[in-house]
Amino acid sequence: MKILVCIKQVGDDGETNRFDVHALEEALDLKDQLQTQLSKSVVLDVVTVGPPGACKIIRRAFGMGADRGFHCVTEKPDFVSSFVTATRLAAVAQKEPYDLILTGIMSADMMAGQTGPMLAKILGLPCATSVIKTSVPSSDMTIEVERELDNGLRDCLTITMPAVLTIQAGINTPRYPKLSSMLAAGQKKIETFKELDLFPEPIQAREISIGTEYPKKTRSGRVLEGSLSDKAAEFLAFLKEKDLL
Amino acid sequence: MKQIFVIAEIFANQIRPVTWELVAAARVIEKNLPSQQSSPAIHVIVPADHPLPLAETIAQRTGMDVIGLQIPELKTEPFAKTIEEPQKGTKKHKEKGRKARWDCMWERGAPAPHGDSGSLARGSAYSGEIYISCIEQLAEELNPSHILIAHTPQGQDFAPGLAVGINAASVPAVNGIRTDEEGLIYSRPVFDNSRNLLVRPTQHRPVVLTVMPGIFKAAVGEEQKSGRLEIRDLPHQPAGYGDQRIRHRRTLKRSCENQALKEAKVIVAAGRGIKEKENLKEIFEFAQSFSSAAVGASRPLIDMKWIEYQHQVGITGATVSPRLYIACGISGSSQHLAGMKKAEFVVAINKNPEAPIFLHADLCIIEDVFEFIDVFLTKRGKSNGFYDFK
Repeated sequence: MKILVCIKQVGDDGETNRFDVHALEEALDLKDQLQTQLSKSVVLDVVTVGPPGACKIIRRAFGMGADRGFHCVTEKPDFVSSFVTATRLAAVAQKEPYDLILTGIMSADMMAGQTGPMLAKILGLPCATSVIKTSVPSSDMTIEVERELDNGLRDCLTITMPAVLTIQAGINTPRYPKLSSMLAAGQKKIETFKELDLFPEPIQAREISIGTEYPKKTRSGRVLEGSLSDKAAEFLAFLKEKDLL
Repeated sequence: MKQIFVIAEIFANQIRPVTWELVAAARVIEKNLPSQQSSPAIHVIVPADHPLPLAETIAQRTGMDVIGLQIPELKTEPFAKTIEEPQKGTKKHKEKGRKARWDCMWERGAPAPHGDSGSLARGSAYSGEIYISCIEQLAEELNPSHILIAHTPQGQDFAPGLAVGINAASVPAVNGIRTDEEGLIYSRPVFDNSRNLLVRPTQHRPVVLTVMPGIFKAAVGEEQKSGRLEIRDLPHQPAGYGDQRIRHRRTLKRSCENQALKEAKVIVAAGRGIKEKENLKEIFEFAQSFSSAAVGASRPLIDMKWIEYQHQVGITGATVSPRLYIACGISGSSQHLAGMKKAEFVVAINKNPEAPIFLHADLCIIEDVFEFIDVFLTKRGKSNGFYDFK
């Protein structure tokens, strides 16, 4: 069985998107169980699309237990349309017959939640988003998952593989990378793909960003001034005035 | 004539209220389209196994034209029972004696229960695969310029695939619609809600939008004139891969909710900014300094298993309406804000002056949560002779 996990580098520290860490942990857990319980051999690959420095998160994934890493190297742009990212990921994912493709429900920075389901559609695969539980597939044909809805509800689904799952936080507690694996990972080769080799014609973005702005206030937002003690006194006075103590 | 599609959100054979908000958002788009374009027709699309009664209600309440998509595959049978959730790492959970309980609400292929099935509606199951293929077929025929879908777990599941399927632009989590000389601009939250990104779809494509709940005011009542009604038989046509690949088995509902959170006059809530699990102790002490307070938490704390689900405030947790909500080290994700915006007063304590929670608070205390609580508790003790939490 072959599993691919799509990961993204986010934030000023260049960490792995936390939802993708949950996706990687879930894939590692499935791999462990398939190997120990069902004696199946499983290959677990990770792929990222991003600037040259994004190879750092692939090394970290090696440290957690990923077998192989692919990096589709891009410039660092201000805004990337999810469709463009999904198209790049699809180009890498199509190189191998993956049974399962996992990724985080969204990235913590862009918060779009589109890459997974778009990737599935481009590859012609079924997709379940917001997956909060998986069961170890007893055959190579299907996997049972639960997806989280709102109002405390969950849908239980049986999905024919190959399939794409986007993973919700709370599904597991991710392991820390092992120091020994991290050291060994330093020797491992990351296979890189250049944008131009994958796409001689540039992918057309379907949306463009024209800037950012601060969200609107929904309440008065009075900022308490002065020393810590002043602020505590004012807060206490507020509570007394409104009879909230 | 160009069309605007609104995809009604149907769950368990009920129209979800977010549908009315989508209609309101569609009207905003209609108004903001460049005047040289002919006025588009808004169509509300209702996918269900038996859409007629739902479609009638929507046509009456909105005055819009409605197309019911009759999709037999969206049928489920009613069946109720209570089941235990088998947890991963069950041993630990057993030790703690805490096992989440789930009521099984609807299950496929199970016999209907004897007698009255009580208040359970017949479940109309959602399937992303079916929704995408059916709406694609309709879009191909009617060529809509905009398709509006709720930014909910259901809408987020099928909207991106639909956009790819019809070669559309796709803008998720829309929280604002406006226009400039070049056309419509959509805003959506990014970076933990601390900014809005302004997005413009490239021209000459349809646009799929998922619209944030709670933004556009639902202006519906009984309209004078009901919209036209059309029911289309639309069997799901799996494009060349045989059977359905996503099969809905059952829907589960958590059986316990935190009554304490719903009834509390004051809620002291903790977020990721409290840094360590051990620091929750101090949050509980802070709560105890009020006469009637409960402790709430934002989702990451539940995900990290620092505190039980019963404390979670937000879309996937409890929706609360206390007199006072004190957000401690909570950044203010939309997931959380949706659960606490009905509070009478909101006080936010956070070290980061950029935290978006301050935009949604009455009082903003820009301090380290625990330094502030310490000073507050000392003052509170002095001001009130009989108060002593230890």
